[in-house]
Amino acid sequence: MDELTLLRNACSDVPPPSEAALTNARAALFDRIALEVDPGARAARVRAAGRTRRLVRHRPWRSAGFAGIGTVAAAGLIATLVMTNVVGLAGWRGGADAAAAAVLQEASIAAIRNADPVIAPGQYLKVETTAVYGATVVDEDGTAASYLTITDEDLFIPADRGDEWIWLRPLSRPYQTFGPESERFAAASWESVVAERGEDYVERLRAPGGEFYGSPNLNDPESLADLPRDPHRLLNYIYRTTIGQGPSPDGEALVWIADRLRIGAIPADLRAAMYQAAALIPGVTVTEEQANLNGRTGIAIGRLEGANGLRQDLIIDPDTGLLIGEREVLVEDPGDSTFPVGTAIAWTAVETSVVDAAPAGGTPNGALDDDGCTSTGNGSFACPSS
Amino acid sequence: MSDDDEVLERSVDEPAVFAELFDRHAGMVHRYVARRIGVGVADDILSETFLVAFEQRERFDPSLGSARPWLLGIATLLMKRHARLEARAWRGMVAGTAAQIVPDAIELANDRVDAARMSRKLAAALRSLPARDRDTLLLYAWGDLDYEGVAAALGVPVGTVRSRLNRVRRVLRAAAGRSADGEPEMDHGRVDPAPQRV
Repeated sequence: MDELTLLRNACSDVPPPSEAALTNARAALFDRIALEVDPGARAARVRAAGRTRRLVRHRPWRSAGFAGIGTVAAAGLIATLVMTNVVGLAGWRGGADAAAAAVLQEASIAAIRNADPVIAPGQYLKVETTAVYGATVVDEDGTAASYLTITDEDLFIPADRGDEWIWLRPLSRPYQTFGPESERFAAASWESVVAERGEDYVERLRAPGGEFYGSPNLNDPESLADLPRDPHRLLNYIYRTTIGQGPSPDGEALVWIADRLRIGAIPADLRAAMYQAAALIPGVTVTEEQANLNGRTGIAIGRLEGANGLRQDLIIDPDTGLLIGEREVLVEDPGDSTFPVGTAIAWTAVETSVVDAAPAGGTPNGALDDDGCTSTGNGSFACPSS
Repeated sequence: MSDDDEVLERSVDEPAVFAELFDRHAGMVHRYVARRIGVGVADDILSETFLVAFEQRERFDPSLGSARPWLLGIATLLMKRHARLEARAWRGMVAGTAAQIVPDAIELANDRVDAARMSRKLAAALRSLPARDRDTLLLYAWGDLDYEGVAAALGVPVGTVRSRLNRVRRVLRAAAGRSADGEPEMDHGRVDPAPQRV
């Protein structure tokens, strides 16, 4: 077999785009076309465009389970969102149920009352993150299996956020497996990582402003400062920013909030606004009164996404308004899940404290520097082939 | 049924006509992107590609006839932006996304092609190629474009495409040849949260 034939055959079995993806893309295009006809709406769109896109957590199984009705409803909502771009849509379609809204309101008030700790010059905000996430592997025979990995990372944010941030990242090790295939894949993956790096490898990063790997920092103070503190305006902003992404605008809005909160560095006033914005999202409920995450207990607030059977939860300490963490739970099998129903297929627990010193060492690109890679600009690297 | 160039020309004054292009080419664009960087991101790139194409429709060169090379060229450009975003997420704060992002599908080629050992070396060689050579090769091999199509997609002369492909094929052949000496196969399907090379 020559090299081109080999390449042509590689990855030739990618699935076609899902109905939902096609519907969303077509709806986005139609909306864009409609705006062309109505130049007045154009200015609003230009402002909304070009914002940094959140990376969607890739879910191998999410292509299944989209039904016609839900899809059409989503497309209709997207069109409505564009039409109401200026006025805003938050709050028009109801919101979280009463219990969840009450919890979120309380947490919001607590967040403001328990102001963020003051970080003196020379001190650091230390964010300890335990992150579990799923990996799905398909082998040559087409056997698919999933397992969970865990890692504990420490991020040190300086008092002046423009100064050097430090980030320690150990390897992600297998955490939970589901049957023999899953166990085999997890073990093989871990072995190969250990062979390459050594079991105790810790990647050390250090970069001004937290711009690791030559990439902009999602947490940079300017972009956080720009976000509205009014919950309605914040939620409208989120709807506009995430338009067309994810299985539903409401689900995507809650995921957007969870993505930012789990970083552990959101200032109290913005955290309070995010809780209140979550209280405006239809379908949000109290999903567990006493939710345990990594040994800490809080109230879980979440929303089940019907299209993929996943429930996004925020787990909040109602007394302090602090986020204990977030998780995604597989509640219903959309048809081809490689995780058992009931699994938290990804979760993050965060804990913050103020410390007087940060570890030494570290380079802007961590393991990429260790490997002798060179930056080719804009967050891309060229690495010597092994 | 009118050709792509006619649809595009009409769409300048009648924007709604543009939707026809989506129905014709959405599947093809999605497939190319999904093979390179995974289905999850492909959904987004698909949408963005047609938005960008719509906004730039007046710049389409009607002498091309088919819109395929033009659309794949836009998708290729957009993927670069995503490569950076992927790098950020991979290495960035949103740790939860990392393991789920399919690396450049070349790495997965390990699992899928029959000549697994050969493909390992091939994949390493592909990863080490300059981005412009890799774009050229994959537009040709996975985008099913001919030399002229690749040239149009990337906005370079046909001669450049030819010389790039010759060079790349030499590199790949050499790499594949070296692989025949039987390195043990392992780490199949590894989804590695550790360093991502983009």
